[in-house]
Amino acid sequence: MIRIENVSKNLGEFKLDDATLQIDEGEYFIILGPTGAGKTILIETIAGIYRPDSGRVFLNGVDVTNILPKDRQISMVYQDYMLFPHLNVAGNIGFGLRQKKIAKSEIIMKTGEIAELLGVSHLLSRYPGTLSGGEKQRIAIARAVVTEPKVLLLDEPLSALDSRTTERLQAELARIHEITGTTTIHVTHSFEEAFALGDRIAVMCGGRIMQVGAPDDVFRRPNSEFIADFVGVENLFRGKSVVHDSIALVHADGMSMVSSSLKSGDVSISIRPEDILISKKEIETSARNSFYGEITEVKNMGTIMRVVVDVGVPIVVALTKQSYEDMGLLCGACVWIVFKASAVHLF
Amino acid sequence: MPINESTFKVLTISITLLLTAFILSLVVCIVTHTSPQSLLTSIASEEIRFAIKLSLLTSAISTLMCVVVSIPAAYALARYNFFGKTLVNTIVDLPLALPPLVAGVGLLLLFGTTPFGAWLENFGLNFVLTPLGIVIAQFAVNISFMLRIMRSTFEGISPRYEYVAQTLGCNPIQAFLQTTLPMSKNGLMAGGIITWSKGIGEFGAALMLAGATRMKTETLPISLYLNMSCGDLELAIAAATILIVISIISLYIFEQRGGSTQLY
Repeated sequence: MIRIENVSKNLGEFKLDDATLQIDEGEYFIILGPTGAGKTILIETIAGIYRPDSGRVFLNGVDVTNILPKDRQISMVYQDYMLFPHLNVAGNIGFGLRQKKIAKSEIIMKTGEIAELLGVSHLLSRYPGTLSGGEKQRIAIARAVVTEPKVLLLDEPLSALDSRTTERLQAELARIHEITGTTTIHVTHSFEEAFALGDRIAVMCGGRIMQVGAPDDVFRRPNSEFIADFVGVENLFRGKSVVHDSIALVHADGMSMVSSSLKSGDVSISIRPEDILISKKEIETSARNSFYGEITEVKNMGTIMRVVVDVGVPIVVALTKQSYEDMGLLCGACVWIVFKASAVHLF
Repeated sequence: MPINESTFKVLTISITLLLTAFILSLVVCIVTHTSPQSLLTSIASEEIRFAIKLSLLTSAISTLMCVVVSIPAAYALARYNFFGKTLVNTIVDLPLALPPLVAGVGLLLLFGTTPFGAWLENFGLNFVLTPLGIVIAQFAVNISFMLRIMRSTFEGISPRYEYVAQTLGCNPIQAFLQTTLPMSKNGLMAGGIITWSKGIGEFGAALMLAGATRMKTETLPISLYLNMSCGDLELAIAAATILIVISIISLYIFEQRGGSTQLY
């Protein structure tokens, strides 16, 4: 368990302002925020790279504020990998083990095991300069987890990778967390990563922690204008998907819908409010998803209206003010909402 | 004649070739002035052999001193912010711009006239008119080169390598020794070579502090100077030729190792 209490650190360009946070044992915790929000300083302070100007850091109840990084058993993975270019892959992965003066045979064994787990066994004698981004990041992760740290810190680990590699490594991170059970803090600016991986999320801005909560809470009930704007995505759900006949049947929060994204198993689902039609009567269309519900909230965003329709779960629909007025929609009215299978994005 | 692109090209290339010819002719004039036979005889002479040995020894020691001092100093200047850093940066770069003769006068006054110099003499460290003076003169003139190369080398290496090493069980010194330092290999080689080669050629500051005593403080450039002034051209040419060979070798290694490292 990690607890940081009123931690402040000013590095000029970046700062951390009175941050208080508790991360539970075994949790996969996401720190989400735009560039320059102070996310990296926060985890570097947890790692002990920086000593806070004020405040304290506790690891499993012990005050580690003044303890060197090497004695904290906290490992770190950066976006740009930071593999040591003068060491080969085996040398990189075994780096932490060598510091502990572990027997050579054991280092080779552990390095081999973790390389196996991350699918990089065939690269052990290669040098980092010759590897792809995805391979480098797997090795950086292997190097961090082979020392069996109490906490794993990931600083935008997927941001430098192409979308396919990101997707695969994201699944890998979830799997490693499941296998090792290591408390993990993952910094990102991607709401998709946050939603897909996080047990809980902290949203940061300008060095401050703005909101902490389960992904559902943060995304559906942002406590500030900033978070609502930053998160910017409504209609996020988690569910299970089964692909059958080139279409995915998705169950989420008691709702069943179809999607043209062919991803099966546990999925995250997003539907853009602009992609949803609203009608007062049930209509027959080519769209595959149709639900009936009550309008519970209407938000005026200028030329666009955001209408929340409760169909068992709240779904946000965006429409122009013109159509909103023409249709005479009001809070409490019951309507149909319709969207195509291609509007249901699975990730 | 209209000036088009090809005339411009011809013009610039011609100037480049003239410059090349100019530099080459200097070297050729020296190495062809005497016959290869007499050149070899001169090189084998006791005086030139002494000068070669003294030059190699003093430059090796002063280069080592430059490396040992510049690594921590360059690291501090590259990584940390401290009060007066800008001023310190300017001062440590000063020997780059200072004429070596001036540095030599300063050294002579420091070691010859101050209590500090007298105190060092108590330990047998006498720099005035001794080979030890050559070493310290080379160090004083060349340290800024080494420092600059190492500073820009360290600046080019993300501190995050060390952060990662620290989280993996290194204390700050171990982290530096196991990541940043080995990653600086090219800068270290390039800096060491240029410092060594400049040390071998060091004349002005060494002349001021260590003097030009035959077979005592006679390095290759001092030997060149002494033999030139007393008309023994054969020996002077031998010393010059060896200096040329050393320059070419070190330039080659420097280009190989760190041609991109910024000097200025």
